[in-house]
Amino acid sequence: MRQALVLSAVSLIALLSIPDVSAAQAQGRTIAGVVTRAIGGRPVQGVTVTVTGSQQLAQSDDSGRYAILAPEGDVRLSFRAIGFSRKDVLVPATQTNMDVALSEDVFELEAVVVTGQATTVERRNATTATAHVSGEDVTKVTAPTIESSLTGRVAGVNLQSNSGAPGGGIQMQVRGNNTILGAYDPLYVIDGVIYSNVRIAGGRGDIDDAAFLVAEDDPVNRVADINPSDVASIEILKGAAASSIYGSKASNGVVVITTNRGQVGKPQVTLTSRVGSFSLANSLQSRRFTSVAEAKARYTGVTAQAAIDSIAAANGGQLPYNDLYDEVWHARSPSYELIGDVRGGSGSTRYYVSGTWKKDQGIEDNTGFGRQGLRINIDQGLGTKFDVHASSVFNRAFHARGWDNNCNNFACGGYFLAYEPSFVDLRPRPDGTFHNPIPGLEQAANPIQTSTLAENHTETNRFTGGVSVDFAALTTENTNLKFVAAVGADIFQQQDNLWSPNDLFYEQPQPLPGEAIQNNGVGRNLNWNLNGIFQHQLGPANTTTSAGLQFEERQLGTSRVRTQNLVPGQQNVNQGTNTTVTENFTKERTIALYMNEQALLSQDRIILAAGVRAERSSVNGDVNKYFIFPRFSGAYRFQGLIGEGSELKLRASYGETGNQPLFGQKFTLLNTPQLGGQNGFTLSGASGAPNIEPERLKEWEGGFDASFLNGRGTLEATYYNRHTTNLLLQRVPAPSSGFATQIFNGGEIQNKGFELVAGYAPLQRRDLTLLLRSTFTANRSKVLQLPVPGFRPPLSGFGGLGVTFIEEGQSLSQIKAFAYDATGTPTATIVKVGDASPDYRIGLTSDLTWKSFSFGTVWDYQHGGDIINLTSFLYVDSQLSPDYGTPSYTKKLNGYNDGVMTPFIEDATFLKLREVSLGWLLPQRVTSALGLGVRDVRLGLSGRNLKTWTNYSGLDPEVANLGDAAIRNNLDVTPYPPSRSVFFTLAVGF
Amino acid sequence: MTTNSNLRTRRVVPVAALAAALLVTACNFDIVNQNAPTDDQLTNNPSKLILARAATGIFSNNFTEVGGDIQIYTIYGREGYNLLGNDPRETGEAISGPQDPGGRAGGNWFAKYQAIRTINTYLRAVKNTVNLTAEENAASLGFAQTMKAAMFLRLAVRSGTYGLPIDVDRPIDADPAPFVSQDAAFAYVSALFDSAKTNLQAAGTTAFPFPVAPGFESFNTPTLFLQFNRALKARAEVFRATFLACATCWTTAQTALTESFLTRTGLPGSLALGVYYGYSTAANEPQNPITEGLAAVRYYVHPSLAALVQTQAGGAPDARWSSKTRIVASHGTGNPPVSSNIKPVMYNDNSGGTSVADLGADIPIIKNEELLLLSAEVNLGLNNKAAAIADIDSVRIRSGGLAPTTLTVASTDSAFVTEILYNRLMSLLWEQGVRWIDARRYGRLGTLPIDRPGDQVFPSMIVPAGECDARGLDSPCTPPVTP
Repeated sequence: MRQALVLSAVSLIALLSIPDVSAAQAQGRTIAGVVTRAIGGRPVQGVTVTVTGSQQLAQSDDSGRYAILAPEGDVRLSFRAIGFSRKDVLVPATQTNMDVALSEDVFELEAVVVTGQATTVERRNATTATAHVSGEDVTKVTAPTIESSLTGRVAGVNLQSNSGAPGGGIQMQVRGNNTILGAYDPLYVIDGVIYSNVRIAGGRGDIDDAAFLVAEDDPVNRVADINPSDVASIEILKGAAASSIYGSKASNGVVVITTNRGQVGKPQVTLTSRVGSFSLANSLQSRRFTSVAEAKARYTGVTAQAAIDSIAAANGGQLPYNDLYDEVWHARSPSYELIGDVRGGSGSTRYYVSGTWKKDQGIEDNTGFGRQGLRINIDQGLGTKFDVHASSVFNRAFHARGWDNNCNNFACGGYFLAYEPSFVDLRPRPDGTFHNPIPGLEQAANPIQTSTLAENHTETNRFTGGVSVDFAALTTENTNLKFVAAVGADIFQQQDNLWSPNDLFYEQPQPLPGEAIQNNGVGRNLNWNLNGIFQHQLGPANTTTSAGLQFEERQLGTSRVRTQNLVPGQQNVNQGTNTTVTENFTKERTIALYMNEQALLSQDRIILAAGVRAERSSVNGDVNKYFIFPRFSGAYRFQGLIGEGSELKLRASYGETGNQPLFGQKFTLLNTPQLGGQNGFTLSGASGAPNIEPERLKEWEGGFDASFLNGRGTLEATYYNRHTTNLLLQRVPAPSSGFATQIFNGGEIQNKGFELVAGYAPLQRRDLTLLLRSTFTANRSKVLQLPVPGFRPPLSGFGGLGVTFIEEGQSLSQIKAFAYDATGTPTATIVKVGDASPDYRIGLTSDLTWKSFSFGTVWDYQHGGDIINLTSFLYVDSQLSPDYGTPSYTKKLNGYNDGVMTPFIEDATFLKLREVSLGWLLPQRVTSALGLGVRDVRLGLSGRNLKTWTNYSGLDPEVANLGDAAIRNNLDVTPYPPSRSVFFTLAVGF
Repeated sequence: MTTNSNLRTRRVVPVAALAAALLVTACNFDIVNQNAPTDDQLTNNPSKLILARAATGIFSNNFTEVGGDIQIYTIYGREGYNLLGNDPRETGEAISGPQDPGGRAGGNWFAKYQAIRTINTYLRAVKNTVNLTAEENAASLGFAQTMKAAMFLRLAVRSGTYGLPIDVDRPIDADPAPFVSQDAAFAYVSALFDSAKTNLQAAGTTAFPFPVAPGFESFNTPTLFLQFNRALKARAEVFRATFLACATCWTTAQTALTESFLTRTGLPGSLALGVYYGYSTAANEPQNPITEGLAAVRYYVHPSLAALVQTQAGGAPDARWSSKTRIVASHGTGNPPVSSNIKPVMYNDNSGGTSVADLGADIPIIKNEELLLLSAEVNLGLNNKAAAIADIDSVRIRSGGLAPTTLTVASTDSAFVTEILYNRLMSLLWEQGVRWIDARRYGRLGTLPIDRPGDQVFPSMIVPAGECDARGLDSPCTPPVTP
């Protein structure tokens, strides 16, 4: 749809620029030529060619050729293509041939940015900070899910993985923590369809006895269903002035994804295959027992000591050291991805069809991630006034994320290993049987047995589709009226099947051994909108007025059947004796009316925009009340101020957005526990708020965008200051009131920060180009006003073991725990010992091409942030810390004994080599020799997360045991270990 | 562009606007929460049926924190350990401190008050309803007040000398209920049991207008339920007498005992007569929270108990000990570890020569065996030592298979206390955490064993962090007490 809008905008601007030329002008000549790349000279397909002042429009074919009807006399032709800088050329009256070389728009200054439900503006005319990532960048190095490929590429966005488990589970924060209890994910919009990013826990916590039944399941956020190779571009609306077009769901930013579409021309087929593997990137070591006596001092039980003797006897009298992490997690069979797509079009029809088949093999047995997808995007013109754009995609995603994170019965691998002596070899015996845990020496479990025999599978089937219809109602010399109607649906069904068979070592001692869970989540998002867009050229002023109506309905049903005491060997949920069923259903409706005004004045030097959105929603206490979200922004462009071809744009904006109450926050419910065969009524602990309202985010943003050296260098700087008021807060009444929580609106928090995006292309030669891009993000949050005493937000952590704590005057993500005071005695109350948020993050991207070779890297540096390393705490508890007996262990042991957590609070600073890619485009002569209509062949070798430099002693400084929380807590409790991946790519174009 | 299209446009715009206006207004935004009933169903003149459901809810809430109380009290009183090792705090903070007001030591509180809030809501609904007869109304009030007093009694035992909030039936936006002293709290509990008594008597011979929960089968009418009320009242008065040196409480305790279901006939069978938390293995019913097989490693009896166990005439240990515990391989956890080789099996299925978890095993709320020992305490308190010896022996001999006690009327009070507490420990092992409660009542916390240097025996659980926060105090705190 974006492209269609570009085209419309192009034709409109073309139409409006020279008002004295009539559109009906018929006589003329044909101008033809070839469009090529400025560097390399290869033809460019899909270039839109327009004649300034006329409605004529043409596109270049696959050999770069175009032909366009132009009026007599001197004319100005304009050439545009995505990824290239626009070029305007004057064609004298006598000339009918015009070849043009387009230079690549390396910093994507020509991209369009979204300014409304159906309006866009060229990035150069944007009045707010923009964050734009091209599809090419997204797919350069294969990533399990789309967010991973944004890391290091955008400023103002903090992306962190919750664990190393395959297939996603990533938290994305745009401009800090902006809520405490509200929704904390950005809003995802794909081709105009509002896309669900919910996390649905499958039920692993029921089986492994987790403390927090949803968050510790480490569920993936459902954006994992998006196929990155379909993406044409991603735009992140960060500031309130930009995101307020989405009203009361936009305070966490909006991620607008546009998928690939066809172009007029011969069909182009691309087949890509990738083969690679994931391997353990980091592991934890354990205490080395140097003698049998040392081991016997640690393990005093008779059985344990006999086992120690027999292990030593089998090993020449010494105790062996086994790399236990490597025994459980290591590279397994290859991972692969196959992608095929066809795009093309003729006449008024354009299409894009793609299919993918992906399988990521996890480093733990029976874990992994797979995705299959089929996408069909069609654009069809109907007559001269209607354009129809249809998108549809069907995806199936499969996740098996294993048995990790915190648990309470040693079913989870890493937790078990924290208590496992290193001299025990966990590997299965040659006959295939599993090592049986030795009482008094080991906990009653075996992670290899668990991952081999137990199942934790999630399958999701999803359809996302939308249609929009553009109707060019009225076009005159100076005015243009257009209507756009769009409807979209996003429907998915997630099913989790978990099975913990009776014969697992941790199941055997349970009162009801053997457990199976079938969990279902069915989500349905519907949205439609109607828009009218009126453009008007009055002298040097070009104004766009749009108004519209948007409706949205979200519903999500989840249900779970859990059974215990299974018949041995059976895994269906009807094969147990103790079966419980739970169900939950939420449904929300929102309707919004909006109006936007945008004006380009003084030859596009001055840009002004304003908008207002009014909306009501079923989740608010008063469902009839409209909440108003305004925005204003302006920019001034200075041309040539800092050198020939340079531009400096100063911009400032103010906007308000919201964050809706969560479903159910307005109700006070009764619990219905069963006793003696019937359900009783008891009051629940949560008191609802009948008058609940959305949170309101107000933000000022200011900055500049500069481009210099003829577009070879760019610098964008933005400062923002956002305040969230009317927060959804939870008062914790005195527990003696019998209420655990009471929802209300109040308080104020602030996030302010600085974003910097710099780009430089030091080499732009025919055979050698180098492009460097860098992003810098720093955000500081603060609780300005809190009408309740300091409190622990939901999922803040484990009590005295370190928690995030919301407190007036402090950062939202501060970590508090007991510490030592100046005299070395433990403090009586918990005090601030760290902060989960990083001080700043820097991304650095380099792209080097030399002849037909390309080499790219993405570096990601995080400075600061703290982690609560409870994994280390567990190793002290078990006396199996690898540094046992050293001063560093003593320090931890003292903290452990005194209830002081400071020895376990660690700095999260890291530098990661996120992406490395090496590509080779086979020479044309080789390609031609292949025949079969082969257009080009690319070979590539790429790696993701290849290397991490950090002082953090745990597995990975990117960790959150309770990741499903608004306030990130960086809690490390034996996560699924991180992996690195390397893939070989072969891509053939026809 | 032609004029025609302009005309069309002029028609299109109003049509679109009208359609939009219709769409805006047509939609239903009053979406209900279909996941659970809402509170107004209980507060808006509920029917008899709804009230019965609420009574079931009160019974259900009564199960709250039963396992949690036993777990933490047994650890605090060195009656047992949690050695699973899944949570370092079980062998850390719970034994060696410092007590964490936001963690274990500040727990076992909220759910009891939540249960009280449901009871208060029910009491208000019953008082205002027109759907019950006067007798049913009195029966309902007497039932709910008894359950409320029982819950406050549990809270008073949990808390220390700092007291607890009593006046909690107030709007959510009101100031937190003030703490009252331990003395005032016990006095309140005692008076509430008496109010309940008045109502249960007023109910006459009517049946309860709701089904009675499993475990209450023997006390399923207002008249019988009153005996349960009196048994708890007796426990409250004995606790009052000992915690607070209330001399007159011995007499009120004695009166309550005589009105309770205490019986000296039918022993030893009648030792088990009483009211229970009725657990079940049926789906969705409450399950015994502290039962596990011998291979599991969460629950252990403290090894120091073994040395206390008295022997029967033939040399066998106290029958209560041998039936309620099993010796297994030693298991330890923590750093440095604490360990034990004794498993509690009183809630297990011990038939068939083995011992496996029994999720349907009931836990006594109060039983005749305890009443006999309460009677022994009362008789000691009233200086009827001969009667006290008779009470002690009725349990020693009948339940423990032991010889009659060697105590005589000339024995010291302290010797009596030691013997009574021994019998309470054996008779009520892992039922209430009496080793800790009794050591507190008789000032004997110093006699409890310390396993590791730095370990402590705590005199009470502490004020939860949430109570401190709600009063603007730094936790741990001791809120001011309103007399």
